[in-house]
Amino acid sequence: MALEPELLKSLSSKPVTLVYPFERPEVPKGLRGELKWDPERCVGCGICVRDCPAFALEFVGEKEEAELIWHAERCIFCAQCAESCPRDAIELTQEFELSTTNYSTLTIRFARPKK
Amino acid sequence: MSELEIPEITIPVGPQHPALHEPENFTFKVDGEYVVDVEARIGYNHRGIEKAAESRSYIQNLYLFERVCGICSHAHTTAFTLNIEELLDTPKPPRAQYISMIVAELERIHSHTLWAGVAGHEIGFHSFFMYLWRDREVVMDLLEAVSGNRVHYAVNTIGGVRRDITPEVEKKLRKGMDILEERLKTYRTLALEEPTLIKRCEGVGVLKPEDARRLCAVGPTLRASGIKHDVRANDPYLAYDEIDWEVVSYDLCDVLSRILVRIDEALQSVYIIRQALDKLPDGPYKVRVPRNVPEGESVMRVEAQRGELIHYVRSNGTDRPDRYKIRSPTLGNIPAVCHILKGGYIADIPIVLASIDPCFSCTDRMAFVDVNTGKKWVWTGEQLRRYARKWRG
Amino acid sequence: MAGLVGSAYTVAVYGLALIVVVGILSLFFEWFDRKAFARLQNRYGPLHTGPSGLLQPLADFIKLLSKEDITPEAADKLLFALSPVVICTIPLLTLFFIPVFSKEAIVFFEGDLIFALFLATLLYLFVFIAAWSSTNPFSIVGGVRAALQLMSYEIPLALALIVPAMFAKSLSITTIAKWFETSFQPYALVPLALAFFIAVVCAQAELERVPFDIPEAESEIVAGWQTEFSGRKLALLRLASDIELVLMAALIATLFFGGAAGPWLPPFAWFLIKTTIVVFVFANIRALFARFRIDQLLRGAWGILLPLSMLNVFVAYVLMQMM
Repeated sequence: MALEPELLKSLSSKPVTLVYPFERPEVPKGLRGELKWDPERCVGCGICVRDCPAFALEFVGEKEEAELIWHAERCIFCAQCAESCPRDAIELTQEFELSTTNYSTLTIRFARPKK
Repeated sequence: MSELEIPEITIPVGPQHPALHEPENFTFKVDGEYVVDVEARIGYNHRGIEKAAESRSYIQNLYLFERVCGICSHAHTTAFTLNIEELLDTPKPPRAQYISMIVAELERIHSHTLWAGVAGHEIGFHSFFMYLWRDREVVMDLLEAVSGNRVHYAVNTIGGVRRDITPEVEKKLRKGMDILEERLKTYRTLALEEPTLIKRCEGVGVLKPEDARRLCAVGPTLRASGIKHDVRANDPYLAYDEIDWEVVSYDLCDVLSRILVRIDEALQSVYIIRQALDKLPDGPYKVRVPRNVPEGESVMRVEAQRGELIHYVRSNGTDRPDRYKIRSPTLGNIPAVCHILKGGYIADIPIVLASIDPCFSCTDRMAFVDVNTGKKWVWTGEQLRRYARKWRG
Repeated sequence: MAGLVGSAYTVAVYGLALIVVVGILSLFFEWFDRKAFARLQNRYGPLHTGPSGLLQPLADFIKLLSKEDITPEAADKLLFALSPVVICTIPLLTLFFIPVFSKEAIVFFEGDLIFALFLATLLYLFVFIAAWSSTNPFSIVGGVRAALQLMSYEIPLALALIVPAMFAKSLSITTIAKWFETSFQPYALVPLALAFFIAVVCAQAELERVPFDIPEAESEIVAGWQTEFSGRKLALLRLASDIELVLMAALIATLFFGGAAGPWLPPFAWFLIKTTIVVFVFANIRALFARFRIDQLLRGAWGILLPLSMLNVFVAYVLMQMM
């Protein structure tokens, strides 16, 4: 019985549910989402690859030539790579809608611009 | 009932059952609507986390231990980082201690409201469940604002915390605390006034203080039996000794008492967070630490939401632990819950089982599989001890 | 039979129309119940199938029809297959005694109220048979609970429904509905209100809804007596529970608010309005409480509801003698 006032209050107000694809939530500033890699800054030291707890990062090539492969399907979005990077070349953006029906699109190879 | 010669029915609850959120098996012998005997079988969720920890560096283990359990993720990393900092002899800077504590208390609010909602579901109180989970979103959003993720906050790191609390986030936190305080007080009144809820919870699953002590119950289950034991107060870590707060306990010893303990504890968390924000010291929130940890051993006790959590580490001078051991709170509560289920009604099984806030993904770390024959078995503590003695020679 | 509307032909036509209308109504009321329940909890409820999710129950029904139908090895095959059909038919049959389209029911005779109550009891016999025939521990516990529950609420329900019959001096549902329009006496309000309260409580038990969803308590015994049913059989059982919802709402609306009787609007509109309000009351009760335990229900029903309903019948009798 004690809940009745709450129930009536809810009945007259708008439901709290977000109708997701049509209404979008406000994403906080520090959200850890999609990974971005800055080839200009990266020196290919490989600390990110070593520290990644999910083995989601991989380098192809050596040192300044190295290119990063991000296995998004393994990534746990902890942002340890961004933190470990001595040159701040990795950043996690607020983009969180990464689901896909095609498994192969989840392995992303970032390309280094040709000099 | 027995004169009517109703055949004894065995009811399996789990590994898959709507009342359990995780796979675990309890076999009940019932006589009519009464439970005669209980047999618990744990081990369905064994994931080899301790072994995995030995082959990962400390930095990587940070995120591994976070995933021991989704709900107490911060408690596990707190215990882990405090352990490693102990070995490294570099405690967290004061600001980091406060930030870690704020997140721990946010997590406690989230866990307790989640649990209270589940308790409502177990007794068929659907609205209670829906309302609590709606208001839990407030704290989830706060956690997301503080840490960048709703569940795996990844706030702790070895040598401090990974993120600072900005003035903007602080404002959000204060606003959120006001909402939560008001809502939690509403739910406490509701739990004390709603007749059907009281009927289902009062006098159900009674765990007497002496039994609680004898069966080594921990956390809110213990405190609901009138024993004031809380690691945060008895063996303070982080900055709990600098904050003015109370250990909540109720002495009804039943499920209602466990609901009240959790709601009140969440309220205490609100007060702790407010004070911590007021007292938040300036300074760095992180210090640089070496990757290799000197040889040594360390044990850490942390009050997770479900009770006392114990982490043990042995290091060997490299960047990987030699041995890691976790004793999660649910394991401590299983003997107690088996005891209180006996003699109760079938209808009370879910709520009594839920009243310890079981988390089996934390618990399961002990199953034996013979790789050659594929035989699986579970050992009792005594068997295990005998086996250990035999191998030590 | 004493009071058929007309020839056998008209009965057949009206009967068919009723079956179709009840089918639609049951799905509508399931939607309405779910929607009201959700809104009371600050949620949306069904939203996407049809306008405001109106077609969701139909979609669920069709989906279940297309699912695999599994019969347990140990089950009594005949009873297991038969019971969903019977459980679905009985409430539908009972609705023939309730005025829906006009101020008179399709079939009515002196004593049809008793017959309707008898059918409601019969329903639970088949629930028990369904539970027993599926030979699952959850089903059996659910079936035993359903039988115990029947014993607890049946007598108070009958005594509550007798009160309007006493005032109308008839045991025919149609006559009682007419009495509300023609010769309603204000002094009858107090016993009627109490009887309404008792009937609503008992209806929750009859419909196996919170706080008395004990026979199918999800977190305790999975789906109770329905545990082993799947596919078409489950679809029929769900439809049966929806029709039961229509039946109980219609019975209460008819016996306490006159059902199809009312000024200006056509009888069917009145019927719809009144039953919808009753369904809303049901949804509100569902949102308001936690589930009782079976022993608490038995104690409450025999210790409180039964004396209360007996007292109510007595008060109604005294009032009738005095006025």
